[in-house]
Amino acid sequence: MSAPILDIRGLTTAFKTRNGPIKAVDGISLTVERGKTLGIVGESGSGKSMLSLSIMGLVPPPGRIATGEIVFQGSDVLKYSPAEIRDMRGNRISMIFQEPMTSLNPVHTVGFQIIEAIRAHRKGSERELRKEAIEALRRVQIPSPERRFDEFPHQLSGGMRQRVMIAMALVCEPDLLIADEPTTALDVTIQAQILDLLRELQAETGMAIILITHDLGVVAQVADDVAVMYAGKIVERAPVGAIFDDPQHPYTIGLIGSMPRMEDDVERLVAISGVVPPPFRLPVGCRFNPRCPFADDECRASQPALVEISSSHAVACWNAPLEEHA
Amino acid sequence: MLRHTAERLLLAIPVLFGVLLLGFVLMQVVPTDPAIVRAGPTATMDIIEAIRRDLGLDQPLWRQFLIYIGKLVQGDLGVSIINNVPVTQELGATIGPTLELMLASLIWAIPLGILMGTIGGYYRGTFLDRAIMAVSVAGVSVPVFFLGLVLIWLLGFQYQIFPFTGRGGPLWTWEGIKAIVLPALTLGGVFVGPVARMTRSSVLDVLGADHVRTARAKGLPERQVVSRHALRNALVPVVTLIGLQIGFLLGGAVVTETVFSWPGIGRLAVGAILSSDLPMAQGTIIVLSLGFIIVNLAVDVLYAVLDPRVRNA
Repeated sequence: MSAPILDIRGLTTAFKTRNGPIKAVDGISLTVERGKTLGIVGESGSGKSMLSLSIMGLVPPPGRIATGEIVFQGSDVLKYSPAEIRDMRGNRISMIFQEPMTSLNPVHTVGFQIIEAIRAHRKGSERELRKEAIEALRRVQIPSPERRFDEFPHQLSGGMRQRVMIAMALVCEPDLLIADEPTTALDVTIQAQILDLLRELQAETGMAIILITHDLGVVAQVADDVAVMYAGKIVERAPVGAIFDDPQHPYTIGLIGSMPRMEDDVERLVAISGVVPPPFRLPVGCRFNPRCPFADDECRASQPALVEISSSHAVACWNAPLEEHA
Repeated sequence: MLRHTAERLLLAIPVLFGVLLLGFVLMQVVPTDPAIVRAGPTATMDIIEAIRRDLGLDQPLWRQFLIYIGKLVQGDLGVSIINNVPVTQELGATIGPTLELMLASLIWAIPLGILMGTIGGYYRGTFLDRAIMAVSVAGVSVPVFFLGLVLIWLLGFQYQIFPFTGRGGPLWTWEGIKAIVLPALTLGGVFVGPVARMTRSSVLDVLGADHVRTARAKGLPERQVVSRHALRNALVPVVTLIGLQIGFLLGGAVVTETVFSWPGIGRLAVGAILSSDLPMAQGTIIVLSLGFIIVNLAVDVLYAVLDPRVRNA
């Protein structure tokens, strides 16, 4: 196995507040393999978006990366100069966002915004760049890209805008694409189209993808590996098959249980009661213990570390593997 | 777009009518009698009566107004009661210097205000931001005449760098430029503050927007992120404010022109009102309100230029 394209070690992203620093991302380690898709799953507030912004160096102030290493293609991104970070963004690592409605600038044409992304990293004549941008639009299967080039974002539908975002992100052929809830704001049919498109483009270019979502259905469709996040920490990490067939963390089990399924004749979906605790009011011990049906005294006393239970499957739970306790 | 503009122009007609009516009524409230003014201090009652008849002042008010409107529609603004010069001729002679003054004030004040606001918004909370905001608040609070007097005292009287009375000639001559410096500093000075404050809050707003994050994620240099993606979008509300503020600027022009004896329309208005020169005062009011209407129309058009979403609406 070759070296992973992205290797995050002990990353902590904290926000300075009056009551001391608040850790949105708390000591996370994970790897992304070349050409593979890592799905990061978690509820709102679990810190998954902050994790992706940390990789891009786009953590909004007063937040900052407190400790850790983000090793991308062999070098630590956190040691980059501002110019190196700028050159990395959109060129080696690209990102697409949740809100296609607001992520494009309403006052510039679609074409201009794509050309801008190219020109940020290399030179070219106006005509060449235009051709390239139209080609990028064609690649994301936008019909009549020559016409779309001169249109403004408000003239496009949500799905089209997300395609434009993808075209813009991929125009410089990055090695890693971070997709932060790329389909959440879209209709279900459009969702499937966009996910298919991402998969096709990945097969074409061989890029790695980090797919951030709260939707396990999306993960099941496109991810190779899955990391489940809860309250700023990874609680379980495994290949996608293992996550669905043999989930170990009670939180993962809860997430899967709350997924609607066609084949099962279930009266009610199992819901995980309560919400993710805010980072300034974390419980003592395992962070999931107030919501966990299996929680015992040990869970309430100390925090479990992420432990490998097989070569590719790691889980942070005192009760894992579950069978022993069943 | 064209239809939109035409509609706005049509809408301006009732506004203008209202302005005329209001101006007419206000002039009636002024205690001096134009006939007495015109007749001079030594005139007898008979002469004053004759002048009053001659000017149509013996008619009932509504009739006077209708006659006035009737003439106005034909392009006849009447003649000055004081010196018998046609009002249109006086207006024509004074509008140039006023436009000159406006241009000279706005040409530095708007860019400076936008620059200050952008810097303040970008470096929010820093000392620089606070300093800029302190200056802008001062700019908003200082009255035009006070700023004018301070500038006259400092640069006109103490150091005698610039002249401070009258117009030195056309703007393209050295004399003309020297003479316009102080009035333009005065009038523009009160404009910088509001523009800077509005730009700052608008830029702050846009800097937090999703598309700015996208621009950064593309790898754009910070300068382009701010100019193309933050400021460009932030300009829409700023332009609205500028349009509204130009109304105040017209008022400020009246004061500035009076302080600096600038031969513009504002000073003409003040003179006409003080001497109960009814047709002249009405004429200046028409021109000033027309100016306001045109500026607002221009703002509407500019809106569509700045924001493509308005274009198709």
